[in-house]
Amino acid sequence: MNKKRSLTFYLLAAFFALFVLFLYSPMLSIFILTFQGPQGALTFPMRGFSLTYWLGQVFQEQRVGNFVGAFWRSLGLGVSVMLLTLMVSVSAGLAFRNRFRGANSLFYLTIASLIVPSILISLGIGIVFQVLGMQTNWFSSGLGAHMTWTVPFAFLIVLGIFNRFNPSYEEAARDLGASDTATFWDVIFPLILPSLLGIGILTFTLSYDEFTRTSLVSGQRNTLPLEIFGMTTNVTSPALYALGTLTTLFSVVLILLAFWGYSALSAKQKQPKL
Amino acid sequence: MTHLSRRKLLKTGLAAGAGFAVTRCASSSTAPSGTPNNPAPGPQVNTNQIKDVNLRLIGTGVSQINEIRNKAQEDLGFKMEMRALSTEENNQIAITQPGQYDIFDGEYFSLPLVVPSGNLRPIEITRITDYDKIVPFFTEGSFDGMPVEQSQGTAPYRVMYVDGPDSKEFSSTPTDYATLIPFQYNADTLGYRPDLVGREIESWAELFNPEFRGKTSILDIPQIGIMDAAMVAEAAGLMTFGDKGNMTRAEIDQITEILKEQKRNGQFRAFWKTFDESVNLMSSGEVVLQSMWSPAVTAVQSRDIECIYAPLTEGYRGWGGGIGLSQNLSGIELDAAYEYINWMLEGWVGAFLGRQGYYSAAPENAKKYMSQAEWEYWYEGQPASEDMVDPFGTTLAAQGSVRDGGSFEERFGNIVCWNSTMEENTYLVQKWNEFIAS
Amino acid sequence: MTRASKTLQTYLLAAPQTLVMLLFLVFPIVMILIVSFWEFTGFSMEPGFTLDNYRAIFSSNVALRTFLNTFKYVALVWAATLLIGYLVAYFLAFYVDDKRLQIGLFLLCTIPFWTSNIIRMISWVPLLGREGLVNSLLLNLGLIQQPLEWLLFSDFAVVLGMVHLYNFFMIAPIFNSLMRIDRNLITAAEDMGASGWQTFKEVILPLSAPGIAIGSIFIVTIVMGEFVTVRLMGGGQAASVGKLIQTQIGSIQYPLAAANAVILLLVTLVLVLAILRVVNIRNEL
Repeated sequence: MNKKRSLTFYLLAAFFALFVLFLYSPMLSIFILTFQGPQGALTFPMRGFSLTYWLGQVFQEQRVGNFVGAFWRSLGLGVSVMLLTLMVSVSAGLAFRNRFRGANSLFYLTIASLIVPSILISLGIGIVFQVLGMQTNWFSSGLGAHMTWTVPFAFLIVLGIFNRFNPSYEEAARDLGASDTATFWDVIFPLILPSLLGIGILTFTLSYDEFTRTSLVSGQRNTLPLEIFGMTTNVTSPALYALGTLTTLFSVVLILLAFWGYSALSAKQKQPKL
Repeated sequence: MTHLSRRKLLKTGLAAGAGFAVTRCASSSTAPSGTPNNPAPGPQVNTNQIKDVNLRLIGTGVSQINEIRNKAQEDLGFKMEMRALSTEENNQIAITQPGQYDIFDGEYFSLPLVVPSGNLRPIEITRITDYDKIVPFFTEGSFDGMPVEQSQGTAPYRVMYVDGPDSKEFSSTPTDYATLIPFQYNADTLGYRPDLVGREIESWAELFNPEFRGKTSILDIPQIGIMDAAMVAEAAGLMTFGDKGNMTRAEIDQITEILKEQKRNGQFRAFWKTFDESVNLMSSGEVVLQSMWSPAVTAVQSRDIECIYAPLTEGYRGWGGGIGLSQNLSGIELDAAYEYINWMLEGWVGAFLGRQGYYSAAPENAKKYMSQAEWEYWYEGQPASEDMVDPFGTTLAAQGSVRDGGSFEERFGNIVCWNSTMEENTYLVQKWNEFIAS
Repeated sequence: MTRASKTLQTYLLAAPQTLVMLLFLVFPIVMILIVSFWEFTGFSMEPGFTLDNYRAIFSSNVALRTFLNTFKYVALVWAATLLIGYLVAYFLAFYVDDKRLQIGLFLLCTIPFWTSNIIRMISWVPLLGREGLVNSLLLNLGLIQQPLEWLLFSDFAVVLGMVHLYNFFMIAPIFNSLMRIDRNLITAAEDMGASGWQTFKEVILPLSAPGIAIGSIFIVTIVMGEFVTVRLMGGGQAASVGKLIQTQIGSIQYPLAAANAVILLLVTLVLVLAILRVVNIRNEL
């Protein structure tokens, strides 16, 4: 490839810079508006300045609603979804290393789960629970709705991992007499661990920020994105922006930690196959 | 190049995360371990002591306020959980998710939809201590012969009573069983920014005035929005109705046609569903004239932005909110719920909401908790003898100002229509949705 | 290990995912299909068989207009994300040589995706509003006399919001397929005297087609069912199928919403199949 700093390079680099500006400028604007004084409003210009007033308000009781509770729910849900998704998708990934009847259907079904418009999942699960006379709840119907979104992502990545997986290690283990279970836990699992951690974070953030699929099925308690959506119509102060700033920072820190952790782990493992 | 496995490309590519999933990884160390599984405290829990009771309320942000919950918990000694929903969600849950709430805090116009679902338990009026202190329009349909007695639509009195303890049929005359016990209501009208409008707004017709093209808003709740639209269309001479509160299909067709035309012409800037949205629209200057609810107007004023809740010559659109009981309730929880209703009428809440511009169902009770100055300003239409401060500490009206529209009698008495669920409600909702989607 | 127990083991391993898909994907969609033929009584749905819901949709031109409007969003968002996504991915894949920098820049593009969509959406309001930053800037520069109103609560805002939210779905697969292109192929093409444009057209573009297709499928399916952006950025005025369905759900007209959802699903599937046909990777799935 052309490595010279050609005109194309500068044009593309400029475009990229503009893109990043486009990507971040709205968020920057709410970051800035977070640091208004007590008289702050939802629009520019800044009214007063305070580093902590509105950030502090997030943890105060609001006039309506409560998003500290919603945060813990989303965190719990994200972790549960992550663990379940990992189990389900790794298990399916292992199954897909063999030929079996229905493999194609399951594959297509999983893809379909990814691309079916989210509102159908929400409406469908909502109707099912209603017709069966069951209560929707974030930890039942909500969890199911999240799984339709996270499992396909995880599954496809797991397939990719196993596709590139060198089978000689496990063959060696089997030759040495290890059982299937032992082979998995002692050989396969450690090898795919860094990737699993990656998928885990991916799954967690997908769940943590999921809105559409959960919208009709979270039951009587909201997840964080639903609570935030509710706040867009119920809160008229920059506390909304402060919350946005905080949850964005939370996600960013998570990603950076993930990146750092992955680098550290794979450096330690020196596993070029992954 | 054809040797490249496209299969692999697609599979791994489909996982849009794949490209970097490997560059990401984990640290769930920030997250607590374990699966959360705290089942909702349901009414089936056997509670023998009232302090163990936990009542779940649903309602709109208008009254699902944490301060009210805290005060109620303190006074009554049991727990409450409040959920602030949009009007639409509130009805939706009341009808389709009866297991999710113990107390329904809703509007009278919802009742023709909610009551037939059988999810509400008729309230025994004998257990309501201050029932006789409720404004007679709610309980008897009378109000000093003022125009409100002839008002159209789902006036609270029309859906106040059911036939018996197990009935789903409304009674046109008082019985011993009520659907909701009212605690707040108001006379709604248009709100506007005098600084941006530049003159006085005196008629509903102004909402369609081309002068304000692209700067008006109407609320997107069919049963309420249609009434505002009807007031406007009537005032502007665009059409007449036999009964605004119970339109025929032809009338619904005609009014939605008018609305669609206005929308096509760009008359509206936005539509709103919850009252805080209207606050944001107004205070950010996106909209200068719109349907509004009273506390939204005061919320705009509290930001030092002028906003007038226009007394209009054609009269007001009224609404009423009250407390209903879920069929789930029994035993000690039912007792607790009745205690809560009585507490709502007792005066503290009336005063709390009164300081934001709502009226209390039992004004004389609310008066006990309001200062002389507050009572004179909010109920009697007199100039404020001191600054009016809302329960959240913001000054809503400076000393000397007068409430828009004047006294309680002048405002409430001039309600000419109510938020309405008509016989043709399903058709209305369908046509309204078409208008919103058009 | 015997062959039979091996087979059993495979099925057991595949069972959890199958179960998840059946319970939370297949069953709900089947229920939607069934309910779309049920009756609506004004406050609840009643089992039955009626074609009224479909009749109501096909007899009103609002449904048709809503679908057309949704297609408009799909087309605009698709074109914009494809253009942006390809240029960005192309720059990252071929013009950033340092691996660490490459990954870093890629992360920079993806970080917003991991944050709340709702927050990202509302953060446009202080920028684009009538009294927003963009308008004040333009007014101060003297470029406009009146605030631009189409910046917010308009089709423009809806498309802008979606492009902002979903460009990731285009960038990631395209970047992924670009990164997998064997650099020797490009060198070979150049050695054979191909111009930059020819190399792009004959080698890079065909090899990145699967990435484009995958990104397109994501964009199409997401935008077809969109309702949150349409609601928040459109100020409640813009129309889309997803929003129509959501409004109907709001007024508990489940059967009508279900009928619309069935049509939405069919239309989306047709679009996806069309994409797969054009890129011709269907048989290789």
